[in-house]
Amino acid sequence: MEKNVSTRRIFLQKGLTLLAVAPTIPTFLDQTVMALNDPYDTKLTQQATGKDGKILVVVQLSGGNDGMSMVIPYGDDVYYQARARISHPAKDILKINGYLGLHPNLTGLKNLYDNGDLAIVQGVGYPNPNRSHFRSMDIWQSAEPERQQPSTGWIGRYFDNTCPGCDPKVGVAIGDALPLAMQGEKVLPLSFERPDSYRYNGRDKADYVKLNQADLQGSAILPPKTVTARNQLDFLHRTAMDAQLSSEEILRLTRNHSSPAPYPANEFGNGLKTIAAMIAGGLPTRVYYVALGGFDTHVGQLGRHDALMKQLSDGLSAFWQDLKQQKNQDRVLAMTFSEFGRRVQENASNGTDHGAAAPMLVMGSSIKQGIVSPHPSLTDLDQGDLKYVVDFRSVYASMLQNWLNTPSKPILGDQYPLLPLVKDA
Amino acid sequence: MASIHPLLSPYVPSESDPFDEVKAAHLMNRAGFGGTPEEIEHVRKLGPLKAVEWLMDFPDAPAEEEEDGDSPNLHSIAGSPSNFREYARQLVGKSLDEKKQLIQQFMQANRQAVQATIDWWLERMAFGKYPMQEKLTFFWHGHFTTSAKDERSALLMWRQNELWRRYAAGNFEPFVRAVSRDPAMLDYLNNNENRKAHPNENYARELMELFTLGIGNYTEYDIKQAARAFTGWGHDGVDFVYRADQHDEGIKDFFGRSGNFDGDDIITLILQHPACPRFIAGELFKYLAYDDIDPGLATALGQFFYANHYEIRSLLRTILTSRAFYSPQAVGVQIKSPVQLVVGTIRMLGLRMPPGQALEAALNQMGQLPMMPPNVRGWPGGRMWINTSTLFIRYNTGVWLAGGEVPALARVDRKGNDRGLLGPGLARPTDFDPDAAGSPGEVAEAWVKRLIQRPVDADKKRVLADVLADGVNPDSVRKIVQLIVSMPEYQLC
Repeated sequence: MEKNVSTRRIFLQKGLTLLAVAPTIPTFLDQTVMALNDPYDTKLTQQATGKDGKILVVVQLSGGNDGMSMVIPYGDDVYYQARARISHPAKDILKINGYLGLHPNLTGLKNLYDNGDLAIVQGVGYPNPNRSHFRSMDIWQSAEPERQQPSTGWIGRYFDNTCPGCDPKVGVAIGDALPLAMQGEKVLPLSFERPDSYRYNGRDKADYVKLNQADLQGSAILPPKTVTARNQLDFLHRTAMDAQLSSEEILRLTRNHSSPAPYPANEFGNGLKTIAAMIAGGLPTRVYYVALGGFDTHVGQLGRHDALMKQLSDGLSAFWQDLKQQKNQDRVLAMTFSEFGRRVQENASNGTDHGAAAPMLVMGSSIKQGIVSPHPSLTDLDQGDLKYVVDFRSVYASMLQNWLNTPSKPILGDQYPLLPLVKDA
Repeated sequence: MASIHPLLSPYVPSESDPFDEVKAAHLMNRAGFGGTPEEIEHVRKLGPLKAVEWLMDFPDAPAEEEEDGDSPNLHSIAGSPSNFREYARQLVGKSLDEKKQLIQQFMQANRQAVQATIDWWLERMAFGKYPMQEKLTFFWHGHFTTSAKDERSALLMWRQNELWRRYAAGNFEPFVRAVSRDPAMLDYLNNNENRKAHPNENYARELMELFTLGIGNYTEYDIKQAARAFTGWGHDGVDFVYRADQHDEGIKDFFGRSGNFDGDDIITLILQHPACPRFIAGELFKYLAYDDIDPGLATALGQFFYANHYEIRSLLRTILTSRAFYSPQAVGVQIKSPVQLVVGTIRMLGLRMPPGQALEAALNQMGQLPMMPPNVRGWPGGRMWINTSTLFIRYNTGVWLAGGEVPALARVDRKGNDRGLLGPGLARPTDFDPDAAGSPGEVAEAWVKRLIQRPVDADKKRVLADVLADGVNPDSVRKIVQLIVSMPEYQLC
């Protein structure tokens, strides 16, 4: 592997021409080269890696974000009736029109909206909504509501379909677990909690590298899931090499990147800053994944949700400033989702219980600004919850086809209607 | 017995296929948490049949009923009784209101009591008299999942943990009945709220989907009917209670029978379903031997389990002495669970128990903190343990246990929120001080054998021997041990 490591370094430092003389490079480098030589806009199906292509950032709001307190239907009396104790007064709401406004703490996102860089998809959900956190999260991440125990996610299947065997840096998740959404059969994207602990701690690094190298016959595709001692060991070597190859690079990129953007000093802000550094450093990543947790506001919602809205807005707007300074704003599109929204009627503990449909935010200078779908009725409900008006798979399909330029049907299993989210090229 | 399936016939050692150190170590890894060289040699001498009897020689009883009456130590928790027995004793004979008040008082320190229970359990896994009982206890914990999250009482979690120990190798029938009356379980799966007027289907569903039959062997209608039969089964915060006024006395239809069934009748009918013995036997086989169980093998194993009246011990004996268990498909193919990795390393290096806080932070970041499964399905296992993040954490935790730098582990609060890194201020390197005698090649060979316990590439052994070339001393040996636990091979058992 040492040979591969050095090849990779040379490749990263000096570009492509050297590769012709290096026959032992892992397949994923070949794939990366192909992607780089094959500009995304010349084909319908783009290679899922390559440094100059488009980037999707998925922001998971864990715990069930109260969509009605994020994008607020303040023009509807029912909102104030149902939320007698936890509503926001109309005067504080950042108004979009006579009916709808953003949470008072979403000032940064409101600026983005006013500048034409934010779209809101209202009432996103799916049929027969599940109100269990883990089940509904599995549904959103797998995009396979009918499958009881999904083993792949929609982004993982995107990688499997468009570039089996490509550089694992094609996907990067911030966190110590790789989300189901990023799991594929053939590619294992990277995940790490923080760049400074994403490294080997032992003293003897040179020998550690030797002991983790293996000749995988040039294959970067994950070994089959059929369990044999050989397959298991190959799988571990593959992952170890990916970790080793990426850790120094990520540490270096994140250390070198400095930005005057005012990132909030919290985990979410740090995660976005790390992502911005990787984008600035030219990592060949197509999809980044980051989460903001704590949305399960059954009790005392007001203060807690307000703080989360501030984290979300401050984080994303700093991220946006950073991207603009890098001049990468046209390449990046960010999208939020949560496993469900919350019940229309507040509960007895000044909170809200698990609900169903909720809005998604899509951010970027390549989006069509505006409100994409009608707000669900606040009175025609499904067991007290908003009925969905847009299937979440329509949003995914639009991202895949109109942003990542890849057919969505092989990934989502069906052709879902596309939404007018992305500007025509 | 030999006729049930060729792969289930006993493995018989021969000159060409002896019961060697690799096989003895395999048995110690799968039926326990790995063995020291002495234990492996002991097992090798016993041979495959007697070794299994030796491992299975543990009582069908919880730890507190053993002679020394072991239970979690709550001494250091301010305002708490010194242990759970003391705690339970205080509740005896109290009125419901008094009980509630006492429970509320104990709940103040619940988080620490749960931690003490996890510490206690990890220590039993590493140093307890009966590693196989603990290994099975861990299996049942993952099977009949219950989480201590959502402020679930430590007393109930400990009692449930002891239930796993009592039935670890007992009979599955009374076991399922006891699980269905277990307060922690009734609480976790909302059967405490399962009432005649508003049946809650959660327990009935998981009982069939995850605990006994497996998905696809029942209908949604069966779930609704079973839920009605379990109405009124609840707990009062400490003990099982049957609330007759909440129980649905109507006729239920279940699996083609009808009658005024209660929960026990449903369990009886489930246990008569051929999917049940097959499912349970298959799950145990996967845990002990390998994942890709052939359908014919699963059926044969299920039939054997059923014919033996759901005796878990005889099922375990069949699996652990079988040809399948010692086949190349089984040996060295299992990705160690985080608990297996950590407890095994402590055992195999002969360490004292490292601080619980650091161990738990490491296990949590590797994705497996005992008593905190991610959801009712338990831990997914296999390759799901491994990604670029967890692999570094696994390596770095190994390095730390072998006397190296303390990994930068994130600490989490009770809600799972990040609370910064656990650094050298909170944990120190362990005092791992290896013996150092022999030539570089011999010493490297000995440690590979001790820790990986299977043949390893000659090239890799040479890398290790080279590290010792400048002198075999405790420091250089510590260095190669840290390297061995950072090898892909060490992730497998």
